[in-house]
Amino acid sequence: MAQTEQDPIIRLKNVDKFFGDFQALKKVNLEVFKGQKVVVCGPSGSGKSTMIRCINRLESHDGGRILVNGIELNDSLRNIDAVRSEVGMVFQQFNLFPHLTAVGNLMLAPRLVRKKSKAEAREIAMRYLERVHIPEQADKYPVQLSGGQQQRVAIARALCMNPEIMLFDEPTSALDPEMIHEVLDVMVELANEGMTMICVTHEMGFARSVADLTVFMDAGEIVEAKPPQEFFENPEHERTRLFLSQILSH
Amino acid sequence: MIVVGWLDEFMWGSLVVLQIFFLALIMAVTWGLLGAAAKLSSNRAAKLTATVFTTIFRGTPELLVLLIIYFGSAITLTSIAQFFDPEVKFVDIPPLWAGSFAVSLIIGAYATETFRGAFQGVDPGTVEAARSLGISSTKTFFYVRLPQMWRLALPGFGNHMLSLVKDTALVSVIGLEEILFTADIATSVTIQPFTMYMVAALIYLGFTTVIMYGVRLMEKRANRHLEGGR
Amino acid sequence: MSFDIALIIESVPKMLVGVGITLQLLFLSTLFGTLLAIVTLLMRIGPFRWLRWPAIAYIYFFRGTPMLVQIFVIYYGLAQFEFVRDSFLWPALRVPFWCAIIAFSLNVGAYTAEILRGAVQGVEKGLLEAGSALGLTARQRFIHITTPIAVRLSLPAYGNEIISLMKSTALASTITIFDTMGVARTIMAQTFKPYEVFISAAIIYLVIVWFIQMGIALAERRFGRYMKR
Repeated sequence: MAQTEQDPIIRLKNVDKFFGDFQALKKVNLEVFKGQKVVVCGPSGSGKSTMIRCINRLESHDGGRILVNGIELNDSLRNIDAVRSEVGMVFQQFNLFPHLTAVGNLMLAPRLVRKKSKAEAREIAMRYLERVHIPEQADKYPVQLSGGQQQRVAIARALCMNPEIMLFDEPTSALDPEMIHEVLDVMVELANEGMTMICVTHEMGFARSVADLTVFMDAGEIVEAKPPQEFFENPEHERTRLFLSQILSH
Repeated sequence: MIVVGWLDEFMWGSLVVLQIFFLALIMAVTWGLLGAAAKLSSNRAAKLTATVFTTIFRGTPELLVLLIIYFGSAITLTSIAQFFDPEVKFVDIPPLWAGSFAVSLIIGAYATETFRGAFQGVDPGTVEAARSLGISSTKTFFYVRLPQMWRLALPGFGNHMLSLVKDTALVSVIGLEEILFTADIATSVTIQPFTMYMVAALIYLGFTTVIMYGVRLMEKRANRHLEGGR
Repeated sequence: MSFDIALIIESVPKMLVGVGITLQLLFLSTLFGTLLAIVTLLMRIGPFRWLRWPAIAYIYFFRGTPMLVQIFVIYYGLAQFEFVRDSFLWPALRVPFWCAIIAFSLNVGAYTAEILRGAVQGVEKGLLEAGSALGLTARQRFIHITTPIAVRLSLPAYGNEIISLMKSTALASTITIFDTMGVARTIMAQTFKPYEVFISAAIIYLVIVWFIQMGIALAERRFGRYMKR
């Protein structure tokens, strides 16, 4: 459970984000503590992805403050790469490097950023491929893998940097139904090991069993943020109720 | 066979063609990458410069480009030299260099478009993934964007290499002793123009065949990660 | 060294006479070359093996050798043979202009045949299956389905080929033809002012290229009406 005595490892304070005239995030506030698992849900275009992309500074925010691991993200930040190497990210479309094998995908960052030797990097890579249960696919190229296998490689690729925090941006949305569980299993295992996680997902079963905090976003705002038990059984806002009724009736 | 007596001359001519080819190839790749970078940048001056570059060198006859570069540089150099020493009659850039440079500008203009298209074809998600792992933008360029771009650019670039080797024939016009020039000389001695020009043609055919197969091999290598895809 | 603007103004009208020759070379070679390409294409993709190989050899030779060498083989080379000199073709083969036309046409024919082949292969198979399902014969499918779609598909590459030919016509100046480039080289030899003369010529060529591009864009719109939403 959350270690509330400590400072939060991620802190968003009144964060605004604009795309042209469109306001994607409106005064978003969120605190995530070490070891906490946060599930973010909401209709498409509600700003969920934008929020976690801001935490990794794949997007820069226009107002408010974002602190990650005690470091403030802003334009004067000289070494964003150092922050990023502590924050793993998993994308909806996997984004594996097509020209590298599975193990090559895993080895790239340890070699370039952590300056590991080839042998060391391969050892690390194999360890994480085993953790996601596909060491036998190490020498295949991404197109030769199924969607579920590709996403597990992508998770392992992020884990190779030994991050403090993992961000998941709709990791199962691009998968065929029969492959979703193999990715979720890996994520549950990761959660049980105590990883700090923020997951944008509509897998409500995952939210119920793993999350410490469930966040509902709509139109760029955080409408409601509660432990899952309360969130599902006693949603406070009309918008949350409507969304839940739509997503749970399927 | 009368050709046999000219074989060593043709061989030297072939070596000159190879020299121009590799010199121009290195320069053309450089112009192509710079041009593509300029076209994709947000800097309007850089964009405009690259557009002017590609418009001129893709829209002007190759022979004309060659003559402007060779005689233009010669007249400039001569007038500079005459400024110091009025006795000087003619100074030029060695035809090998002038020729390679001219050909490289033409091929570089075509390569600019090919590279630009290929860079645009790289999935931006993979670049984001690299950035999210903390890989610096320079390293992302060399380890993630460039290898993917190269695969997409290869078919087009292979054609540019074929054009390049064929364009070396033009350099005979400014008096460089390459294959076609050798054929001219051989013709004037033997009075067998068909034989000699055919020999030149067949040597070029050999070069283009080798390049074609080379490119095919490279494509195979670059595409190995697509084999057995689902 | 100074830049002689008067010379540019003086040279351009002289070069315009050459432009006439350039356009003749361009037009006639495009015409003959395209006809040749269609014949070659039919040989290349047709059912007869003994017709396929000559087409492949022809395409391979003309795409694999420099245009300048081809021009020299035809203009200087053919005269080596007595039977050529005695033949009824000799009056044409003696004239640089016609030799250039022959060389350019053969070149365009080889490249365009490959462009057309790519386009024919690019026609979606499902459309031909739909044609067969409706009871169209192979010939009907080729004429009514493959051809119109392939023409549209080949246009961008065909346009580039015409522009490429336009630039290659400058090579005619090497066999004493006074096209735009030939006139420019003559003026250059008299004045030795390469920048002024050649840049004027370059501008003329760029304008012609621009016109060709407009024409191609027009044709693409005309033949691509069905692609518009």
